[in-house]
Amino acid sequence: MSGEPRPLRIALADDAVLLREALAGSLSAAGFEIIGQAGDVAGVLDLLDRDEPDVLILDVRMPPTHTTEGLEASHRIRQQHPAVAILLLSQYIETRYALELLRDNPAGVGYLLKERVTRIEQLADAVRRVAEGGSVIDPDVVARLLGRPRAHTPLDELTPREREILALMAEGLSNGGIAERLVLDAKTVEGHVTRIFSKLGLEPAGPDHRRVLAVLTYLRET
Amino acid sequence: MQRRPGDLALLAALGILLAAIAQFGPFLYSSPLRVPLNPVYATAAFIGDLLWVAAALASYWRDPAGRMWKLLLGSRVVSALSAIWVVNTSLTWTLWEATIGLSTVVFAHLVLAFPSGRLVSRYDRWLVIGSYAVLGVARLAFVLVWDPRSGDCFPRCSVNPFLMWPNADLAWLFGPGLSLAIPVLAVLVCIGLARRWLRASPALRRMLLPVALVAPLELGVTAARYLAAMNQDTWQAVGVTLSTSPLAFLHAAIPTGFLLGIVAARLARGGIADLAVELGRGVPLGGLRDTLARALRDPTLALAFPAPGGAGWVDPQGQPMDVPAEPTPSRSLARLERDGQPLAALLYDPAIEAEDPGRVDAVASVASMALENERLAAQVRAQLDEVRASRTRIVEAADAERRRIERDLHDGAQQRLVALAMRLDQARGRAEGAGEIIDATTAELLQAIREVRDLAHGLHPPILTERGLAAAVEALAERAALPVIASIPPDRLPGEVEAAAYFLIAESLTNAAKHARASRVTVEVTRDGAGLHLAVADDGQGGADPSRGSGLAGLVDRLAAIGGTVTVVSPTGAGTLVSADIPLPAGSMP
Repeated sequence: MSGEPRPLRIALADDAVLLREALAGSLSAAGFEIIGQAGDVAGVLDLLDRDEPDVLILDVRMPPTHTTEGLEASHRIRQQHPAVAILLLSQYIETRYALELLRDNPAGVGYLLKERVTRIEQLADAVRRVAEGGSVIDPDVVARLLGRPRAHTPLDELTPREREILALMAEGLSNGGIAERLVLDAKTVEGHVTRIFSKLGLEPAGPDHRRVLAVLTYLRET
Repeated sequence: MQRRPGDLALLAALGILLAAIAQFGPFLYSSPLRVPLNPVYATAAFIGDLLWVAAALASYWRDPAGRMWKLLLGSRVVSALSAIWVVNTSLTWTLWEATIGLSTVVFAHLVLAFPSGRLVSRYDRWLVIGSYAVLGVARLAFVLVWDPRSGDCFPRCSVNPFLMWPNADLAWLFGPGLSLAIPVLAVLVCIGLARRWLRASPALRRMLLPVALVAPLELGVTAARYLAAMNQDTWQAVGVTLSTSPLAFLHAAIPTGFLLGIVAARLARGGIADLAVELGRGVPLGGLRDTLARALRDPTLALAFPAPGGAGWVDPQGQPMDVPAEPTPSRSLARLERDGQPLAALLYDPAIEAEDPGRVDAVASVASMALENERLAAQVRAQLDEVRASRTRIVEAADAERRRIERDLHDGAQQRLVALAMRLDQARGRAEGAGEIIDATTAELLQAIREVRDLAHGLHPPILTERGLAAAVEALAERAALPVIASIPPDRLPGEVEAAAYFLIAESLTNAAKHARASRVTVEVTRDGAGLHLAVADDGQGGADPSRGSGLAGLVDRLAAIGGTVTVVSPTGAGTLVSADIPLPAGSMP
């Protein structure tokens, strides 16, 4: 979708007004169109019924219970508005919630730590990726999954480079994205990916977003 | 009302006189009815009447202010009145006719009011009042319309001095016709008795027994006699037999049972001596109620002690208990004191006092010392419960406070810091030459955001409230410094249990990584009928002493607040095992 003249249309949902306004300002400045804002789940649903954005940026924790309304609402929104990509913002690193979000359908969803929004280019990149149907997982979430102390696992067999590539796969990057990020050529990345999958005993990768789920599930369960 | 021996003697003389009039009066005049007068029969009936008189005397002696003796005496007066039929004048004959049925209604009244003399239920009251009213109105009407000289002159011809509007049909209706109502009355009284029996306490049933057994039979015989008397032939065939057979003495079983009950209750006073012996041998704490219930012969007895704070009452287990300020119709209340201080309250069946006045006082005074011991024990238990409850409340309040602070940090400081970092990011492009300062400040801000996040998370991890113990420990394991193998059922548990278990596991993991130099930890949580069982085991160097400084000591208290216990086994060189048992509140059992 990049290169199209129309700016991406974005809706924001967060009960912290100060932050929401700041975010709206940053995104507008970065060339996105803010079509609406809401402070709770009911507000979001109303907003979506009136006008569907390309991407909905949603806080996990919102009124009335201040627990995981945003996460629960995202499941419902994906059913009722399948065309809307969702970027979930969380104050805490909860790998479980990241997986819960991806489990139904990992296409066009993302889970980012809230502090990530302070670098607008990172946020803009994530917004574009989910809008294109990709998956986005916060690097800190991936780091925690990868860094979890383990007694002995096939992960130990990976070279530092392979580990790096595995982390980027877990963040939701495609082979092309990884090649760009690491300044490698695509063929080399492909070769690494094949070796990683065989070392971990995983089935060969499918589409990118399926690959994210496979890698995350593997990391979480071993 | 004070009982006076003089009054008792007077009552006795009056009773004997009434019985004599009732049974021997007919011998003074020649009987116009063909009922054979038999001295042996009359003497037997006189003795039966004397039993009623004795019962009246006994109930006067026990409760001079009560109604029972008056009712018993009243029944003797009615019985004596019925003897006036033998005085062969038109006036007495008419008056006698007017009182027919009265003795049966009085009997019904007596049966339903037994043994207190009071009609307790509304059914009983309406039945008795209604019977008196119907009888009174019918008999008054009867004397106004009854002409004895009409018809067949049965049982005999006389003149009715009150006759105003002679009417044979109405006279039949208000006279012999009313006999048809007697079986109805008998059935209604039996229903009233059955209702009382079903609601009666064991002590009351002991007293009701003679009445419950005899009254239905007696009422049946009476009903048969009334029906027989409606017709001369049936009277001769059935009525006379009924009036002279042993069935005629059936009613005497009621005062006999009443008197025997008094004797039995007196004999049961011997039980108080047994009580003294039993108390001397020692009653286990908490067992005094059962001992006193046996001595009082009241299985419904309840024992209450003043609550430690001075307001309210507690049971022998120290649990708060309601004690009415005043006795109620269904519960008598005795407040016992010792040296001017409240000692205990006995809630007992009011029938006990009717059965054997003074027994409660006797039992209470014998048991005074044992009650004192039990009072102290109950109060200590109540205080212990209060301390436990207060400790639980303190922990709950602390948990709530941690959750609140976590929320405040999340909604306040963290959001502001993030918003601030965003503003800085926006400033980056516009401030020429300030890039380095902005980058450094942003890095500082991000560090602050992470620190506040970790602080908030450590206070109370939201995932614990949101997804439960298993998910929260899983998240803990991801952040741990060493491999953690956890096996925890996914069920949700009460919040205070989840919090206590979580912080115990978190602390144990920290200790394993920091002090024990362990290479791995296993966390196992299981749940059974007794509650939740935790075991956190590491393979470190052991030698941990939970009483010295570690954060474990505070967690031991925290668990104790919800009734849990913690044990630490940590032999030098052989790892550390922290295990805990936490009871689960009823209702959250699997």
